[in-house]
Amino acid sequence: MRKGLLLMVTLIGLGLALSPAAGAANDVIRLGFPIPLTGENPDVGASSKNAAEMYLKQVPTVVVAGKTYALKFVYEDNEFKAESAVKAITKLITEEEVLGVIGPQASAQAVPAGEVANNYATPMISPWSTNPNTTLNRPYVFRGCFLDPFQGPVAANFATEEFGAKKAAVLYDIASDYPKGLAEFFKQAFEKIHGPGAVVAFESFTTGDKDFSAQMANIVASGADILFTPQYYSEVPLIVRAAKENGFSKPIMGSDSWGSGDLMGLCGDDCKGLFFSTHYAAAGAQGATKAFIDQYSAAYGKTPDDVAALTWDSLGLMIQAIQNTGGLSGDIKADRTKVKDALAAIKDYPGITGKMTFTPEGDPIKCAVVVKINDQGQFAFHKSVCP
Amino acid sequence: MTKEAISPGRGPSAVRRILGPAPLLGLLTGALACVLIERFFGQQVSDLLHLPKMPVLFGILTISKVVAGLVNALFKGAAFEGIELLQLPAAGVYFAVVYLLPLIGVGRITAGAANRAAAALARMPLPASALVHLGLMYVTLHVWAGMSDYRLITLNLTLIAVLFTLSLNIINGYMGEFSCSHPAFMAIGAYISSLFTVGLFVDDKVLGKALVAMPMDYLTFPLALILGGGAAAAGALIIAIPSFKTRGDYLAIISLAFLFIVKSLFENLQVLGGARGIAGQPDWATLPVIFAVVVLGIWIINNFVTSTLGKALNAVRDDETAAEAMTVNTRRVKMTAFLVGAFWAGVAGGLLAHVLRYINPAMFGVQKLAEVLAMVYFGGLNSVYGSIVGAVSISLLGEALRPLEILKWIFIPLLLILVMIYRPTGLVAFRDFDLRKAMGPRTDSRPKV
Amino acid sequence: MNLNFFMQNLINALQWGSFYALIALGYSMVYSILMLFNFAHGDIFMVGAYIGLGVSLVLLKIVGSGAAALVPGWVVLVATILISMFLTAFVGIIVERVGYRPLRDAPRASAAITGLMIGIILETSNILFLGGQRLAFPQLIESQTYNLGGVFITNKKIMIVLVSIGLMTTLHQFVTRSRWGMAMRAMAYDFVVVPLVGVPLNTIAVMTFAIGSALAAAAGILFGLAYPVLDPYMGVSFGWKAFVAAILGGRGSIMGACIAGFMLGFIEIMTVPGIQIVNRLFELNIGSNLRDLIAYSIVLAILVFRPHGLFGEPYSAKLRL
Repeated sequence: MRKGLLLMVTLIGLGLALSPAAGAANDVIRLGFPIPLTGENPDVGASSKNAAEMYLKQVPTVVVAGKTYALKFVYEDNEFKAESAVKAITKLITEEEVLGVIGPQASAQAVPAGEVANNYATPMISPWSTNPNTTLNRPYVFRGCFLDPFQGPVAANFATEEFGAKKAAVLYDIASDYPKGLAEFFKQAFEKIHGPGAVVAFESFTTGDKDFSAQMANIVASGADILFTPQYYSEVPLIVRAAKENGFSKPIMGSDSWGSGDLMGLCGDDCKGLFFSTHYAAAGAQGATKAFIDQYSAAYGKTPDDVAALTWDSLGLMIQAIQNTGGLSGDIKADRTKVKDALAAIKDYPGITGKMTFTPEGDPIKCAVVVKINDQGQFAFHKSVCP
Repeated sequence: MTKEAISPGRGPSAVRRILGPAPLLGLLTGALACVLIERFFGQQVSDLLHLPKMPVLFGILTISKVVAGLVNALFKGAAFEGIELLQLPAAGVYFAVVYLLPLIGVGRITAGAANRAAAALARMPLPASALVHLGLMYVTLHVWAGMSDYRLITLNLTLIAVLFTLSLNIINGYMGEFSCSHPAFMAIGAYISSLFTVGLFVDDKVLGKALVAMPMDYLTFPLALILGGGAAAAGALIIAIPSFKTRGDYLAIISLAFLFIVKSLFENLQVLGGARGIAGQPDWATLPVIFAVVVLGIWIINNFVTSTLGKALNAVRDDETAAEAMTVNTRRVKMTAFLVGAFWAGVAGGLLAHVLRYINPAMFGVQKLAEVLAMVYFGGLNSVYGSIVGAVSISLLGEALRPLEILKWIFIPLLLILVMIYRPTGLVAFRDFDLRKAMGPRTDSRPKV
Repeated sequence: MNLNFFMQNLINALQWGSFYALIALGYSMVYSILMLFNFAHGDIFMVGAYIGLGVSLVLLKIVGSGAAALVPGWVVLVATILISMFLTAFVGIIVERVGYRPLRDAPRASAAITGLMIGIILETSNILFLGGQRLAFPQLIESQTYNLGGVFITNKKIMIVLVSIGLMTTLHQFVTRSRWGMAMRAMAYDFVVVPLVGVPLNTIAVMTFAIGSALAAAAGILFGLAYPVLDPYMGVSFGWKAFVAAILGGRGSIMGACIAGFMLGFIEIMTVPGIQIVNRLFELNIGSNLRDLIAYSIVLAILVFRPHGLFGEPYSAKLRL
């Protein structure tokens, strides 16, 4: 016992003597990233982190009203779980004292996290969340992507004009809120054009399903002219293949989620010639978009997906807003509100995924493009649709 | 010291030797002293030690952050400042100065007085004595969580995990079945209580306008929890009735099938928001509410498992035929156990929904199942202590090792495998939770009451 | 709603059921012989698929691909399956040594927890070494679709069903005809007494895990051919569902697990057209999304009426919990 006490006192003394010198960290702007680094979708977290790291390398400091601040990014794992997302963002805001938050990406985490951010009056931009609840009645919460009510009609109109489709089939994941929302808006828009019942097959499956043959058999039997499937890049190859194997030879089109991740690496020739609506076209991009794609490909050996592009833009918006505040006071609470006001006031921010202006709800107004997967497997610009 | 914190089962005697003759009352006083010290001097101590911030979770988080930085530097070539290494001893010293030494010191110094007080309390009716202890415990937690909202949310979710784990322990530990349906019960509780609170009192896009406007509407929260728990218990009937005919392995898949069914049901019920779930629950699950509900739950479950019915439960586990022969009404016993377990899981779900203020069906899948099974078996079967230890240690470890990112999911499973190999029934299994004994004075001259 | 439509779904169900059956076999063997839930089995299936991916990429590098290949694709495929089955068997053996052997005398549930944890470690290691992104499984044989009067069949579907049935038959022969198989059956009958008469428990346990894992690897590769997107969590839902199939088949009945696997696949696939038919007949509007709900309600109903599984025997005295 006595020995133990002696040891402890010695250790304490040693600790005090050796403890690190306090670093002066005044001129630092800290931004938090609650992203899924582990859990079911680690590639979403990896893309966000890649984009952020690349940004930091290019823009290590920002000048706000003549004063130079170093940027520091804090990444926190939200494990792709709602509980964990709430803890992660609370930790970022209260412990890491971040000025603003970029993330979480998926709605299942962004909705509860947005509540926390709004309660602590901290500006948050979710680059990728499409659930209306994320920003609803939350002045401090913004998003970087367009909403389903806009993208659904884009796809419906495109299917009508491009293919002359009169009957459409939809295949979507009922358990995942992004595809489900978009599928419903597509159905609404398509039936508005062609009358009720024009969506002849409205088939669904559950997250993690790999076999779509049963649904595809229904779709083939329904005689649809086009298949709309707003699914993620990991499911699209399986759906396209199931369509082929079950004798569905009509066109298939999708949404921006096709562009996340390595679609062509997984899908190969099967996906060539298909269309999807998205935020930007990688092939034939110009200006800042092209520079972003080139740098990202050079740094990480793959074309950036939409998560990376939207994270990049959200980050740009946040920095722009910080610069627009006209000077930070150093009082983090006041500064957060200033940044939020500046974010809401941004007009026509020239992002790589289009020009962005926020609505009072905190949702951006921007154009969608329809891309065609060309024979080289690139996403080539086909058409642009603006709200 | 982390070892002591995470594996009290390994060396209770060693801990006892250091803490000396302090009773629970003394330890609680010591803990209160610790948090008060941290409240008033924590900042100064961490400044003195040149820690960047006051450590949040007893310094473990600080340590794992440095370790994570080191690992990243070694394997990914990330930038790492050697000076950060010094945070390791600093965090240890912080823990010693703020928590360990005051706890031992106050515990030992006040041991005499505390023992006298404990003896006096022991002569009083049990509820009075329990209330004093609980009051002290609550004040300690309140002060501790008051220092940072991150601590608060961690504490809230940990308390809910304790209740959830304990409710599963009734079925998997005391009754000895392998039930997989607990996340489903939690989901039912979360949805029904949210339906009640959001539907009645909040304007919501999915559930429509608030139906009732009441000034003191938060007083209806217990009702919401009871409704949630009751609905979960009603759902449990679907599992309980087949359990009359079958047990063990077939019950495991019946319950698993039930989990899939419930999750699929909530995904498809558009009136409840489908996959989008329900958001905007009122902010009623505060620390005092959660603390009170969890304590009540522990108390009732403990009474249940130590009652005749609880003993009958153990009899069913050990040998159903023999139990039946000894006039145990096995049907009634099984039914009650399922209903009680499901009820408290539902209540835990209701609390969770109102802490997160958002629920969706994906939260209650097999991942949650793996989590709660880990907590039950890590802490120990057939033991209220075990569930508390299991839930608290897994929750805190999960939080404290967060900076390790992916490595966390190697470290925690490995730890669990080791515990299973060396203590197959869990850390603190098969130990009775005797309130009177736990709160009594700790002098050897006096016979234990 | 015609015969074609039904046949199309039947063929799809056969393919889907073969995966469940192959995975359920491994579960069922461990369960029958050692009375353990091997919750790591779904992840061994995942590891098998990834090992298959690695092996096939190496083989393709050696023999070349496309027109310049030294040997036709199916040779590579057969080699991949055999090599991966062999390698994955070792993964199973390691899992048994680390996670199950130390717990031989522990409560069964504890072993279930170690299995669950080993599963998590396997998933995490995969992410750690390969990163989180999905990987494409190389198409070793050219896909061909045959149109048989409106029913679409691919050569892969036929091959998958035939290979799985072949593997199952081989296993059945091994278990019923060979001496080791006899030892296994004896062990399944009573593994307290049988070791006393000289049957080596540890050897049988290792063999059980090795065979189960090899079958899971075969399932993984066939899966890769049919659904060429691999991800680290692909085994999780398969694992739990094959667990349902294995127990549903009944303890001690290896063929029961196969049949239950096919049945589960059949129920899952057929629910979708079933809903369609009900909708047409009664002019309802039930969505195909109720698939899990209806499929598992059927499972639940089966268990209520046959509480000891399809082919299992009632037991209670020998339960080692």
